[in-house]
Amino acid sequence: MTTHGKQTESTAFLYPFIESEETDAGSLLDDLAASARGKAAESARLQRESLDEYGPGLTAAGTEMAERFLRGGRLYTFGNGGSSTDAATLASLFSRPARGRPVAAWSLAADNAVVTALGNDVGFELIFKRQIIAHARDRDVAIALSTSGNSEDLMTALAEAKQRGLLTIGFAGHDGGQMAATDDLDHCFTVHSQSIHRIQESHAMLGFRLWSVAQEHMSRPRNGAHTS
Amino acid sequence: MTVTTEPGGGYVDTGLSADLAAAALDLARKFHDGATLWVISPQWEPHAHHVAVEFVHPVIMGKRALPSVALVEPDPVAQARVATQPGDLLMAVASADEPAAIDAMRRAPAWGALTLWIGSGPRPPAGAANHILWVDSDDPMVPATGRFVLLYHLLWELTHVCFEHPGLLKPAAEECADDVCVTCSDEGRLAEVILEPADPLGQALVRTAKGEEWVDVSVLGDVAPNDLVLVHAGTAIARLGDERLREEQGPDDAEEVNR
Repeated sequence: MTTHGKQTESTAFLYPFIESEETDAGSLLDDLAASARGKAAESARLQRESLDEYGPGLTAAGTEMAERFLRGGRLYTFGNGGSSTDAATLASLFSRPARGRPVAAWSLAADNAVVTALGNDVGFELIFKRQIIAHARDRDVAIALSTSGNSEDLMTALAEAKQRGLLTIGFAGHDGGQMAATDDLDHCFTVHSQSIHRIQESHAMLGFRLWSVAQEHMSRPRNGAHTS
Repeated sequence: MTVTTEPGGGYVDTGLSADLAAAALDLARKFHDGATLWVISPQWEPHAHHVAVEFVHPVIMGKRALPSVALVEPDPVAQARVATQPGDLLMAVASADEPAAIDAMRRAPAWGALTLWIGSGPRPPAGAANHILWVDSDDPMVPATGRFVLLYHLLWELTHVCFEHPGLLKPAAEECADDVCVTCSDEGRLAEVILEPADPLGQALVRTAKGEEWVDVSVLGDVAPNDLVLVHAGTAIARLGDERLREEQGPDDAEEVNR
């Protein structure tokens, strides 16, 4: 501040944090690091809270998924934007896990040709529903991820999936939106947060728990002697 | 199952939070100067896509859209080589033993890119990337538990905080500005061969962090496109890493088959 001209100097005391004149990154880096730790702690807390809230439901859903996989069922995952990538990560977790039994699973956003063909010809809200119509058998599983719980392309696909006898699972956020209210979902897991980022991080953990439950169920002997 | 796939293992400790902060400030500075963020994730392509969509279409209304692209073709190194320009950013979301990530990170200085590496398990060697953001866990399930998502979400959030401090987005004062800079002139600079010499005594075209230049390669003998060399005063004085590349990854064409 000492290098400023007289005019600036006379008023600079009124604006101690003029960002364009800021030159020392040290305090910003400290603030950023503290912010990162705080957000990470909130992410972990929300994951723990979500798992606690939905423990029995996740066990039931994961077990039902395993039973369908053992009958040859497949898993379809879908979402929009970042949630579509999380849906793809979830599908990969089931189809090529680092350990355990792989099962057939894929993301319905994965094929550019199919998604753009449907979006162009029949409308964006049908990009997933039309694929459910094409692929689904009654032993399959559909998992939809939406931080709002309101995405129209997901809701129409879930209605179709439910009608065709699929096991339908929704991961939602905020207040759950339409997902929390619909009868088309066998299981709805709403992460109670206002942050899309924190919701997505919890969705990943909920999906991982479903996978863990399904894996455990599929690794048991099938004569019923060891089922719980 | 180890503790890391349990909720609560997601805390970011002091060291990682400092790494994230430093990376975010560098990201903001590069974006401010017009960089594009290129992202590879050969083992988990959806993570590369998630990073790209995060920056291109922010979930928080009013935050500026920033250029970021997922490179998910079968040979991400070749894709990154063509895409990357001096001043850009290159991120890998990959384990430390992923051959394409190793190769891209070591070549990036010749492309003029600042590098970030997100992963878990054994760490890459120090200096393997400008910013190493690491989950120190040997649990192979970490990439599917939201831990990586958390790291790049934090990186995005912190980067946008930096934009509120325009005074700090200017280049650091010690950055090279002229020919007497020790880093750029007296030491060897990493370069990647673009064109081999047309005749035995001719020069080769290489790319460095500063752009393209013709250099004398007579010290090295034969050079081929994509060879990594050290350039000093207009001359390629050493070839880098061939042995390690051949041993660990096989020759270039075998690499392509493997991926």
